[in-house]
Amino acid sequence: MAAMPDGPLLRCEKLRRSFGDRAAVDGISLSISPGEIYGLLGPNGAGKTTMIKMVCGLLEPDGGEVTVGGRHVSTDLSVKSLIGYVPQDIALYPDLTASENLSFIARLYKLTSDVVRERVAEVLELCELSDRANDRVDSFSGGMKRRLNIGAGLLHHPQLLVLDEPTVGVDPQSRHSILERVQEFGRTGMAVLYTTHYMEEAERVCNRVGIIDHGRLIAEGTRRELVERLGERDRIELSATGNLEAFAAACRALPGVDSVATTADAVQVVASDGRRMLPHLLEAGEPIDVTVNAIDVTEPNLETVFLHLTGTALRD
Amino acid sequence: MRTALLIARKDLRQRMRDRSAIVLGLVAPLLIAALMSFAFKGTETFHYQLGVVNEDHGAIATELVHALSSSTSRSILTVENLSSPAAARADVHDGHVAAALVIPAGFSAAVAQQHPESLSIVTSVNNQVAGNVTRSIAASFVAQIDADRLSVMTALAGGAPANTLNALSAKAATLRIPLQSVERPIGAGQLSAISYYSPAMAIFFLLFTISFASRSFFVDRTQGMIERMRAAPVRPAEILAGKALSVLVYGTLSLATVGVITSTAFGANWGSPFAAVLLGFAMVISVVCLTALVIGVARTQRQAEGFSSILVFGLALLGGNFIVISSSPPLMRTLALFTPNGEAMRGFSDLSTIGGGLGTVATPIAVILLFSALTGGAAMALARRAVS
Repeated sequence: MAAMPDGPLLRCEKLRRSFGDRAAVDGISLSISPGEIYGLLGPNGAGKTTMIKMVCGLLEPDGGEVTVGGRHVSTDLSVKSLIGYVPQDIALYPDLTASENLSFIARLYKLTSDVVRERVAEVLELCELSDRANDRVDSFSGGMKRRLNIGAGLLHHPQLLVLDEPTVGVDPQSRHSILERVQEFGRTGMAVLYTTHYMEEAERVCNRVGIIDHGRLIAEGTRRELVERLGERDRIELSATGNLEAFAAACRALPGVDSVATTADAVQVVASDGRRMLPHLLEAGEPIDVTVNAIDVTEPNLETVFLHLTGTALRD
Repeated sequence: MRTALLIARKDLRQRMRDRSAIVLGLVAPLLIAALMSFAFKGTETFHYQLGVVNEDHGAIATELVHALSSSTSRSILTVENLSSPAAARADVHDGHVAAALVIPAGFSAAVAQQHPESLSIVTSVNNQVAGNVTRSIAASFVAQIDADRLSVMTALAGGAPANTLNALSAKAATLRIPLQSVERPIGAGQLSAISYYSPAMAIFFLLFTISFASRSFFVDRTQGMIERMRAAPVRPAEILAGKALSVLVYGTLSLATVGVITSTAFGANWGSPFAAVLLGFAMVISVVCLTALVIGVARTQRQAEGFSSILVFGLALLGGNFIVISSSPPLMRTLALFTPNGEAMRGFSDLSTIGGGLGTVATPIAVILLFSALTGGAAMALARRAVS
């Protein structure tokens, strides 16, 4: 890897991008330093992919600027050699072999033939696909394709790795393997921008998390910093049957309740001192014939933070 | 340029692995050219069986049958004597003969006595050309008789003694109408069916490159590969250049292979190799520009497939890839000159018949390149957007 610059490697300043009247990204600023894994956490449609496309120079911002290593992404083509992009969907040629795909992508970064051979072998090893190097990609399992898709973003030894929801549709074993790899990338000094709508992934791999909703960065910090914002609050999940919307409204009216969200079969509540609130929450369900089947009181986590900040569950 | 070559090489590798590309680029043009050549072979060496019913057996009738069997007529027809008009109708109907000529009894006497008498021609809708040729031969013979008669009448009116009538008639019969049409093609050679349909089919299937090259672009885009290329230090123009280069190489290879095989194996005459290569290359350039135009105009793969199908069949119909354009109505012949393939077909036909070199195809090449410049210019503006 090339020498790392002092200070943040990636800087985004007041990035804006609209599609028609809808602001997909609305004035987001963030920075990532070498060795840091930054998680951009938000529900589907929050603006994560738009943000990533602007960072990678795939989409021109309406306003603001992106620099990587101090160089502007929108004006300096060579800066793309510093960025490794792993798209959300598998971007590989199904009718080419793993080796041919990697070789083609490596050459796009103007690597010499010797280096290409070396890097292709290295990435195949990393993806645990060395024995399938000469097999066509359309013969691979979903997990193998995912691993190769990530590997393709590493061929040119980027300083900034941008992963757009790399674990969507991946089996638990492959997901575990991918997350381990991402943590390893951070340890080698690579800056990683990682988008996900899986709270547990962000909690597990990211040093710092930015919570994005409706195109805005509504909170940013380490997991501890974000959770500490909640103070002594707890997250209470009430699995219930009946009119959950009415139940949520009744809970929301209770003093001490900060925010309430509903999922398909539960009501999630963020409240100070959850254990003390519990009887009041159960009483709130009685007049409207809501039957609470299970109760789960947990310490605050990033999902609690998201719920507290947006009033909606992360996977809505 | 290095990146464009890389993209082109990758595209060609994918295309060569796709059997349909081999079929469309090589097998289909060779097969269809051979089939069409076989189907239209009769039009260049027209020959048919003519049934003749001579119910007269007089001098003039004998002279007519003799004329039909002469060495001049033998190149286009073979006479088969039939017994009766009914037999003639049956044989024409069954296809044993292509047409029949019935000389009625008393025909010679009627002509000598200046009484009107008719020659009957039996024709079939299945071979109208034979019917038309027989009609022309009969008309020509009647015209000759009229000319003989006019000669004799002129001589008698000019004071020739009446007792010389038979001598004058005999003398007039030896004369032939001085004005006769003679076929003089502008070139040294005749355009054979294989020489027309080889380039016609090679170009028709070359046009299909528009369809699958534009589809391949949209497949790349759907698969996220255009985005992956753009995430690398690659300019949109390099991506387009790579795609264009692959079309150029594939098109040139396809056209060249069909050209070599049809000329060596099927005897097609493509004319001067140098001029044919330049003309073919100009045609390939126009296909590259049309492909870029389809990519620029279409928004989705489905649209690209629709636009390219319309373009391929529209151009092939207008440009004379299915039918010999010189046999088309004047409007079609004019429209053909506004299509690159029509110009190319004109050029290849001229090379085959007139011969010559670059001078023969300079105009078609210039028109094709002008067409390419216009479509390519529009395409570049639109296609850049497609990549971006």
